[in-house]
Amino acid sequence: MKISTNWLKDFVELAPPVARIAERLTLAGLEVKKCESLTHPSDTLFEIEITSNRPDWLSHWGVAREIAAVENIALKNPAVDPETGRTPPPGWKIQIKDAGGCPYYTGVLIEGITEHKTPDFIVNRLLACGIRSIDLIVDITNYVLLEVGQPLHAFDADLIRGKEIVVRKSKQGEKFALINGSEIELRPDDLVIADSDRAVALAGVMGGKDSEISDKTRNIFLESAFFNPGRVRKTSRAHQLVSDSSYRFERRVDPEGVDLGRSRAIALIQKYAKPRYISAVIKAGEKPQLEVKTIHLRADEVTSILGVEIKPSQIALILGRLGLHVKQHMPGSWTVGIPSFRPDLVRPIDLIEEIARIYGYENIPETLPVREPLAIAESPRLVLERKVRHLLSGAGLCETVTFSLISQDGLSSSKDLKHAVQIVNPLQHGLHWMRPTMVTSLLHVIQKNVNAGADSVPVFEIANTYGISDQQKHPVEERTCAIALYGKKAAQTWLDAARAVTLYDLKGCVEEILKNAGCADLCVAKIQRSYFAEGTGEEIRAWQTPLAFLGQVSGELLKTWDLKEPVYYAEISLEKLLAQSPKTRAFKEWPKYPAIERDLSLVVKEFVRGGDLISEIRGMGQGLLREVELFDLFRGKRVPEGCKNLAFRMIYQSAERTLVSDEVQKLHDRIAQTLVQKYQASFQKS
Amino acid sequence: MKDQISRIEKEAREDLSRIDSVDAVEAFRIAYLGKKGRLTDLFKQLGAVPAEEKKAVGAELNRVKQWLELSVAEFRQKNPAAGASSEMFDETLPGIRPPHGSIHLLQQTIQEISGIFNRMGFQTVEGPEIETEFHNFTALNIPLDHPSRDAFDTFYTTHGQLLRSQTSTVQIRVMKERKPPLKIIAPGRVYRPDTVDASHSFMFHQIEGLMVDDRVTFSDLKGVLHLFLRELFGSEIKIRFRPHFFPFTEPSVEIDIQWGKGWLEILGAGSVDPNVFDEVGYDKTTVKGFAFGLGVERIAMLRHGIQDIRHFYENDLRFLRQF
Repeated sequence: MKISTNWLKDFVELAPPVARIAERLTLAGLEVKKCESLTHPSDTLFEIEITSNRPDWLSHWGVAREIAAVENIALKNPAVDPETGRTPPPGWKIQIKDAGGCPYYTGVLIEGITEHKTPDFIVNRLLACGIRSIDLIVDITNYVLLEVGQPLHAFDADLIRGKEIVVRKSKQGEKFALINGSEIELRPDDLVIADSDRAVALAGVMGGKDSEISDKTRNIFLESAFFNPGRVRKTSRAHQLVSDSSYRFERRVDPEGVDLGRSRAIALIQKYAKPRYISAVIKAGEKPQLEVKTIHLRADEVTSILGVEIKPSQIALILGRLGLHVKQHMPGSWTVGIPSFRPDLVRPIDLIEEIARIYGYENIPETLPVREPLAIAESPRLVLERKVRHLLSGAGLCETVTFSLISQDGLSSSKDLKHAVQIVNPLQHGLHWMRPTMVTSLLHVIQKNVNAGADSVPVFEIANTYGISDQQKHPVEERTCAIALYGKKAAQTWLDAARAVTLYDLKGCVEEILKNAGCADLCVAKIQRSYFAEGTGEEIRAWQTPLAFLGQVSGELLKTWDLKEPVYYAEISLEKLLAQSPKTRAFKEWPKYPAIERDLSLVVKEFVRGGDLISEIRGMGQGLLREVELFDLFRGKRVPEGCKNLAFRMIYQSAERTLVSDEVQKLHDRIAQTLVQKYQASFQKS
Repeated sequence: MKDQISRIEKEAREDLSRIDSVDAVEAFRIAYLGKKGRLTDLFKQLGAVPAEEKKAVGAELNRVKQWLELSVAEFRQKNPAAGASSEMFDETLPGIRPPHGSIHLLQQTIQEISGIFNRMGFQTVEGPEIETEFHNFTALNIPLDHPSRDAFDTFYTTHGQLLRSQTSTVQIRVMKERKPPLKIIAPGRVYRPDTVDASHSFMFHQIEGLMVDDRVTFSDLKGVLHLFLRELFGSEIKIRFRPHFFPFTEPSVEIDIQWGKGWLEILGAGSVDPNVFDEVGYDKTTVKGFAFGLGVERIAMLRHGIQDIRHFYENDLRFLRQF
């Protein structure tokens, strides 16, 4: 809201410079975002931002009241009319049919308006605050709204049928033409002001076209009322209509301001519109009362919250400056009366905040709490996460942060999204799933980077995946590490040729993480995922618990994301990994006796699985085989069609003695023979 | 003495002609020039030589020593040791670097901020992102008709939960589970249905902090948070405490840091509202606390001069690899 400092001067004396006052207000919680200088007429505008608990600051008088408290200076009240009208408007009546929506409604009939020209000072002040002058009566209602914060509405009295004002809920299917020219269909819960026939205003939000005042208007009915904040807000939001009125009503206006605003408007109308007749005020309902009218406060409560001792006399002074009625029981103990414009003050803590604000946050000393140390162990999950992050970033992968909300693109609704959590009110078209997998998120990342010219995109993300099964009430969030590799493994150098990344590179990353977490005794199994190419999916398990899965992204998805080269994708459940990983790892002594190395190069049929060969070899080691490692794998060359050549390096070593070359050779030959028989393997002569 | 020198020289010449390996040349060097080498022995005897001959003998010894050293070096150059490159190392060429990965800047920022609070004794904890209305609103003293509960401001799930719009939910979870004293911080993702632009995103990161015991005060809040900001932004940083409003703290405060010519809001905080203690079952008459919250993106943007929040979620490798 814009506040004119010239206008403020009607109520408080502003000791220059005004920038200092702006700063004082800001440091008291009434934030002045900007000071703006105007010329013709010269003025300074404060752009203020209020917090939702202080709607009483939404007017010049309200801001002046705060300045008076902060600066400890006198506050003048707005000039009001004593409301001399004695005769009630003949035949007029007000009826409230929805007291929940409108507890208090007042009005006055004004007839025989002769002047329509708005005085310059009102035009200028409205303009400074961003409101265009329209018509004297409308200008006066706007002026009062900006001055004391009470929204008013003036109807053309001759257009109100039946001299009747009814405050009621809208009727089924009722339509309403607004001042702004549009027509809306009212909701059942909307509160309207109606005459004997039809709605004439959307209560607290906007007036109606049919009863709008014009330059022909001679007689007006002036409304000043209190509308329920929640109801106004709902109507305003539902119809997407925000007005200066609705803005204030939905934040709650001061019930006393209903009368004050009306009196102030009458005074201005009397003076500038020169009407022939002003009726007595007619009213319906009761002013809402504060639920809490007094609060007990003790000085020691103030000290224990703020950590600073403020003298009781100073506390009483501060509360008094804020317009609260302070009564001392005994030294350091008060009963504090709360004025109608401060419904936010209901508990001692609310008063303590007020005291701190005016005392000045800057005057409260800074201290450091010295305490016994509490539990300082770091969460094992965070430790594991950090390990994984360092491991993968050290291996050349970049960590990403992508949105947890995804669209259905690329996923199967019957498989992937079957147990996914769905959002009722998605923001963007389609983004209504809490992702059960990060595969599509990382495909997006790869696509973006490829489009930007990257030829290698190694990325990972550590975030939650989400799911809910039919038996569960609350969704499950699983901390997951997703890895995706695309393009070149490493850039070409004069020493190394470039090569494409493969599924084995990805598997290596996963294995390294599992090993690093201390997981042993892992096994693998083929799995199927809707987004993996047939036959490429694999799951890594510890006993029965799946820890990770990986595979090559299907061609269909690559097409969707317009990618030319394969994408390899893995997910590791950090949650499950953590459950498997030992807290500390015991040291293992390595054998002291020398090792003997032997290579074994075999040609086998394509369908023979390398892992089976390795387990077979291991099983025959008789405790003397320490390591088996695949060091070469190739096809073509001298290898027959449909076959592949695998070359293993085997390290023989005993923990108890030095092995003799002969016995190793015997064992090695026996293993080789077994493989030849069992897997129809043949030796590759080198 | 001179005879001895010339005899050694002659024998050395013969030995040298027979040397055929790097090992042999080393053995040869040790035999003549080592600590107990034959030529070294002669140097040791130089003291016993009559003064008038000393100069000439010394010169002769040095000549032979230089010849031997040169011969050894020459042999080594002609016969490089196994594995040593015969190519010259060009120190002007760049090295071949290991692959360049990175940890996301938001994560680095979270770790840095958490680290500061961890060192002050605050423990990092986490809570779920899919939450209940109780944890996200009710327990935080946010009234039933508060606008932030609207579908305009909060994402809801079809199962009746919501996506937390603030990490303050973790305060509630921890207080419901544990008894005071508490010192925790809780980083994590939060969600609000804001249209994405240069300064908004429907998902972002916050860090929530909470300290609860029987005597912590607003002045402790000021001390702890000022220390934090000095650690993060440097001891010269100017800050101000400005009253504000949050439903779950009272008194509430926003903390601004001086940035260029103006002030920038960086932290929201306050003493824990007694209603929150009621909600979690703490005795509000004996328990005191303060809480604070900050936006990770905002801090990272400020510190690194990033103008557009979307950089964080676009994950361009050219962005990721800068940090």
